[in-house]
Amino acid sequence: MEPTIQTTPPSTDNILFKGKIQFNGKAGEFFGIWIVNIMLSILTLGIYSAWAKVRTYRYFYGNTHVDNHSFDYLATPMQILKGRILAVIVFIIYSLVVQFLPVIGLLFALGFLFLMPWIINQGLRFNMRMTRHRNVRFAFSGNYGDALINFVLLPIASVFTLYLLMPYALKRIDQYIHENISYGGKPLSVNLKGETYYMAALITIGVTFAGLIGFAIFAGIAGVAMSFNGLDTNSLNFSTLLFPVLMAVMYIGMLTLVSGIYQSIIRNHILNSSEFEDIASFKSDLKPAAYGFLLFTNAVAIIFTLGLAYPWTKIRKAHLLAAATEVTIYTGALTLMDTVQEQQSSFAEEAANVFDIDISLT
Amino acid sequence: MKALHVTGCYYFPNSSQHQYCTAQVNNEQVQLLNQNNDLIHSASTIDCILESPIPGVAAQLSFCNGGRFIPDDVDFRWPFGNKVYSISERLEKNKLLILLSVVVAPLLLWLILYRGIPAIAVYSVNVASPAVVESMGEQSLAVIEKIALEPTQLSIDQQADLQSKWAQMLTALELDNTKFRLSFYQSDYLAANAFALPHGRVVVTDELVTLLADKPDALRAILLHEIGHVEHHHGVRLSAQAVASTVVLAVIFGDLEGITEVVLGSGSSFLQQAFSRDMEREADNYAIEKLVKLGYSNHDFADAIEALQQSLEEQHAELEDNWLKYLSTHPSSQERIEHARQYKP
Repeated sequence: MEPTIQTTPPSTDNILFKGKIQFNGKAGEFFGIWIVNIMLSILTLGIYSAWAKVRTYRYFYGNTHVDNHSFDYLATPMQILKGRILAVIVFIIYSLVVQFLPVIGLLFALGFLFLMPWIINQGLRFNMRMTRHRNVRFAFSGNYGDALINFVLLPIASVFTLYLLMPYALKRIDQYIHENISYGGKPLSVNLKGETYYMAALITIGVTFAGLIGFAIFAGIAGVAMSFNGLDTNSLNFSTLLFPVLMAVMYIGMLTLVSGIYQSIIRNHILNSSEFEDIASFKSDLKPAAYGFLLFTNAVAIIFTLGLAYPWTKIRKAHLLAAATEVTIYTGALTLMDTVQEQQSSFAEEAANVFDIDISLT
Repeated sequence: MKALHVTGCYYFPNSSQHQYCTAQVNNEQVQLLNQNNDLIHSASTIDCILESPIPGVAAQLSFCNGGRFIPDDVDFRWPFGNKVYSISERLEKNKLLILLSVVVAPLLLWLILYRGIPAIAVYSVNVASPAVVESMGEQSLAVIEKIALEPTQLSIDQQADLQSKWAQMLTALELDNTKFRLSFYQSDYLAANAFALPHGRVVVTDELVTLLADKPDALRAILLHEIGHVEHHHGVRLSAQAVASTVVLAVIFGDLEGITEVVLGSGSSFLQQAFSRDMEREADNYAIEKLVKLGYSNHDFADAIEALQQSLEEQHAELEDNWLKYLSTHPSSQERIEHARQYKP
């Protein structure tokens, strides 16, 4: 933030802690929480789902430790419930209009485009304020104008440049989200590089093409093999049934591999270029292949267990992400005060609190 | 009451400072002591705030001043906790309930999605005005026209002949001939097929007309089936069901990340098709009833299905009667044929 050149690396004596993020969640334990919460949500016609969300978040936050201190999720189920009711009403109106009157739906979509930056800010603000580490909360300070530029105008502009601007637009979005985060009044300084986003995009496209070629070769070979088998009506043997299954698995494999590669490059870049000055810095070393493989096996597990493996996949992912992230905490972290508390008493904040809900279905 | 000791960490109010200490609970009083047994904080248990405990998450104790104490042992639970608060945790740890939920939750979900929502969606028909349904139908047709339809190749005479039969049938059934309109299109994609749009337009492909050229009774049966879809408001109901199912799945499963792409994608299309299976039966019954009412035979419908079935089998290997049966939009042909043949007015 400051234009000083002397960015001397912090000497080791003001390092309080340096180590991996610890995640202690257990798949078996979370499975019980998950399935019972789904059951209760169904039995209460969805109302309990707000409690379920809070409990799930508290489970994951409470089991995530940095320097032996866990995170804390502060939202109350009533806040979540209010947000959901509003979101459900909006969603139903919106989809009914789109389904029944596509033309008016278009106008609705346009209006929604201008509402979206506000909703996104609202969600980020809410989620940050509801996150606490030690006794200090996070905060988000983005404004409508910046959100409109980054989430709406730039992505639209990138469509008109044949998506050449897209990686830049994505970089701007990530920059906006992260540079507006603060912890105990200290902003996160983020310095994202457009090159990395373009490189990530190129790698992703390259892998996609390589995959498509492999896909075509496989489909060709399998197709020839199939036609040798003959297509008589009662030849529904193992291989004809196996073929579509294999195709589906390969399709999912491609999707997850590609998103794993892209996401890990970007995640590493964001964390490696962010720091709370004098408080904390991060190092992410997520391996694209390992992450892609995890996403793939997760998707396959969810499909073949008809969703029952979901809790296991979530815990597994959290373990991998935690293990790939190293946090360094500096002495400045000892003297932080929770500033969110004070701001809250001001009138503007009070007024904003009326809408202090995360308007989302999830 | 026996004094209770538990080690943990105290977080000072609104600050990042903390201190490892021991909490002592004695006579409804909580005291936090550091290693030297100096008192850091003390409070009455009544003034302490406890959250509903969660398995595997330490039960933190919040004080009125904003400070918190988090026990090291994640399984430790405070003896003065509200019993109501711990119900959720006891349920979440109950092996029997977990097992029961694994079986019952999918069953309930199935009931909601396949029985509850369709039953409620019937009422959406009253909400949608005819003007809305009209524009919904015409807009859908415009989309389908772009994707799959070509102008008809049928001769003017053939079209006029079919249109006049259509008009006669509408009059006999006392149906509004400004609502029910018949259109012909050529389509390689749909092949021999017919479909109805929610506002009353019935589309028949040239291929179907050609296939049933010498079976006018069978063609009539198919047209009646399509009218059945319109009369039962299937299009509107399907749309309402799609919206409701999305909301239900989103709310119940909450965090959709990951699940959305894979499971929900295939799940909701499965749903869509199952909706149509029930609706196909409804339309079948409509067609058979009207055929008999108009003085034709219920076997006409069976003949029509048989003819379609045959042309389908000629085109590609038939999968419908196998395990893939569930994937087919229509109930299995054999089932429908038998149903039509066994009809008794």
